[in-house]
Amino acid sequence: MIEAVPLEHVVLLATILFGIGLYGVLSRRNAVAVLMAVELMLNAVNINFIGFGMYLAPDPTVGQIIAIFVITVAAAEVALGLAIVLQIFRRKSNINVDELDLLRW
Amino acid sequence: MSLAWLIPALSVAAFVLLTFAGRRMPGGGAIVSLVAVAAGFGLAVYGCLDLWAADVEVNVGPGPFAMDFVNAGDLSLQLGMVIDSLSITMLLIVTFLSFVIQLYSVGYMRGDPRIHWFFAVVALFTAAMLGLVLANNLIILYVSWELVGLCSYLLIGYWWEKPSAREAAKKAFVTTRIGDVGLLIGILVLFKATGSFEIDQIFAQLRVGAIPGETVTLAAILMFLGAMGKSGQFPLHVWLPDAMEGPTPVSALIHAATMVTAGVYLVARMFPLFVASDVAMLVVLTIGTITAILAALLALVETDMKRVLAYSTISQLGYMMFALGTGSVTAAMLHLGGHAFFKALLFLGAGAVMHSTGGIVDINRLGGLRRKMPVTTWTFVIGALSLAGFPLLSGFWSKDLILSSAFDGGHWVTFVVGVVTAGLTAFYMFRVIFRVFFGEARSDEARNAHPAERLLTLPLVVLAFFAVVFGWLGSQLVGDPFGRFVFAVEQVEAHGESIWVIVASSAAAIAGILTAYSVYQRNRPPAASIRAAAGGIHTFLAKSAYIDAMYQWMIDNVSLGLAAFVAVFDRRVVNDAGVDGAGASVRLSGRTLRRSVTGLLYNYAALMVVGILALAIGLVLAG
Repeated sequence: MIEAVPLEHVVLLATILFGIGLYGVLSRRNAVAVLMAVELMLNAVNINFIGFGMYLAPDPTVGQIIAIFVITVAAAEVALGLAIVLQIFRRKSNINVDELDLLRW
Repeated sequence: MSLAWLIPALSVAAFVLLTFAGRRMPGGGAIVSLVAVAAGFGLAVYGCLDLWAADVEVNVGPGPFAMDFVNAGDLSLQLGMVIDSLSITMLLIVTFLSFVIQLYSVGYMRGDPRIHWFFAVVALFTAAMLGLVLANNLIILYVSWELVGLCSYLLIGYWWEKPSAREAAKKAFVTTRIGDVGLLIGILVLFKATGSFEIDQIFAQLRVGAIPGETVTLAAILMFLGAMGKSGQFPLHVWLPDAMEGPTPVSALIHAATMVTAGVYLVARMFPLFVASDVAMLVVLTIGTITAILAALLALVETDMKRVLAYSTISQLGYMMFALGTGSVTAAMLHLGGHAFFKALLFLGAGAVMHSTGGIVDINRLGGLRRKMPVTTWTFVIGALSLAGFPLLSGFWSKDLILSSAFDGGHWVTFVVGVVTAGLTAFYMFRVIFRVFFGEARSDEARNAHPAERLLTLPLVVLAFFAVVFGWLGSQLVGDPFGRFVFAVEQVEAHGESIWVIVASSAAAIAGILTAYSVYQRNRPPAASIRAAAGGIHTFLAKSAYIDAMYQWMIDNVSLGLAAFVAVFDRRVVNDAGVDGAGASVRLSGRTLRRSVTGLLYNYAALMVVGILALAIGLVLAG
């Protein structure tokens, strides 16, 4: 029987993944890359849900259900985000987030 | 008397009808207003007979007609009416005079382009006055009180094309308002002390001593302030002479016979309150005495016929007030009734003179009218004799009652002043008569005067009849039916007519008439030499005792000074610091905070992370 992964490892993996995602969001200039980094953060959260669901919740399926919900919402969000990026690209031939500052003072 | 509410309601209906449709009716729809007030008079007579048949000794208190008007929390207001001898007397006087004077107005105002508005406002005035008289609670009373003030304002300024009429209307409104504020505060003081606006509930609490003495004094004096404004008592009398800018029937109805007596009626209605406070009675007595003599003195030097009558009205209102101050409601009410008739008569006579001479009121430009206008002349003389207190006429009995109550009450100063004023009254009235109706005509208008038409003289004759007989109601010779009818519940003392009082007041009146005859008819001594001898006193009186000048000074220095201070405060503090300050602070914070909106995605994201971290750390530390 394979021994279950301990909770500490799961949390550590999620933290690392979240940190990479956060770094990506804050440092990438390409809007598509920013979206991908956001996906990484969401997945880090999913891992947390499943890990905590297995170890701490009375019923482990609760965490899994929420993870599936998050994946669904994330898919919708990415579809929307990519559509916006596509529109921006059509107007400016450019998807550099540094230059998207129409709402600047 | 369940129909009592109809009396004012009919006039209200006439007002509404005339306002909207009067323009299209013949003669401005005067007939509507006349019918309404005639019906009101009929109802009042019916009510009077009703009350007379009942036991007059116990018939004081609220009438049967009452309905809920306001229900809010603890406060419940009953819209009710007082039907007692006091209000019935006023009802009869108001409706009767309103009818007669409106009849006169049909002739007097004929051809005026806004005649429908005249009759509409007169109808509204009548309704408001009747509401005031019938009110059984202080709220209705106050509302009616303000309404008659409004009608007075509208009618003084009826010929608003004349700047002087506009100014007079404003002056009347503002001056009476000073008193009205006192009345309102007085009502609120009473409400705070008793929790009720209803007059008989207030009296019930007063009777058991539930209201502290100082509160009674305060409330009585504040209410008297309202009476002073409306009834032209010194020092708030200045508006009444100027109010003569209005049409003469208005002067007769509102500024002589009815509205100006509202103050006297208020004091009579609230009499138990005044009696409960010696200080308040003394104030009423003193103000009344000062007013009576001062106005009589001012009337001596006035050359405008209507203004003489106005000062005379003020003086007679002073009489009524000091009669109340001596504790005699009966004397005051009898004088009120008699005065209403003969003063309305005198004003209508003056109006007939103006009508016949094209609007001349200066007594030095009239003269010799007795041959042109005999009816006007002799009715005017009857009115003046009655006003002067000539024996056996109406004014004689009431003046006598008033002086008797001063005499019996031991108010010596007031008694002497009253007698002197009676002499002065006779003198200035006959000065007017000799100047206007006797001697030679002193202007073309007076020479070419035409006799007054019948519609103008008929009311004069009717009023002259009452000017002779009304006072007999209060005479001991016929058993004093008026005194038994309008007895006051809390009458301070009964009084007999002392023979000395009768002699003194009659002598004063006859002396005044003879002096006027000697000076103005026989020219012995000539009026000019008296004027020269009086010197400074004449100037003092001709300048209205400098009261107007004092008010002007107070307005220029005190009011306008205060206004200038308030204006600076408004500009600097309210406007610059308050309104502009709020705008400037918003703009400043906006200019500062907009720097944070960089438009860069990672700035926002970084701030968000920092914020979440701060929250998380805070939560962990808070435990």
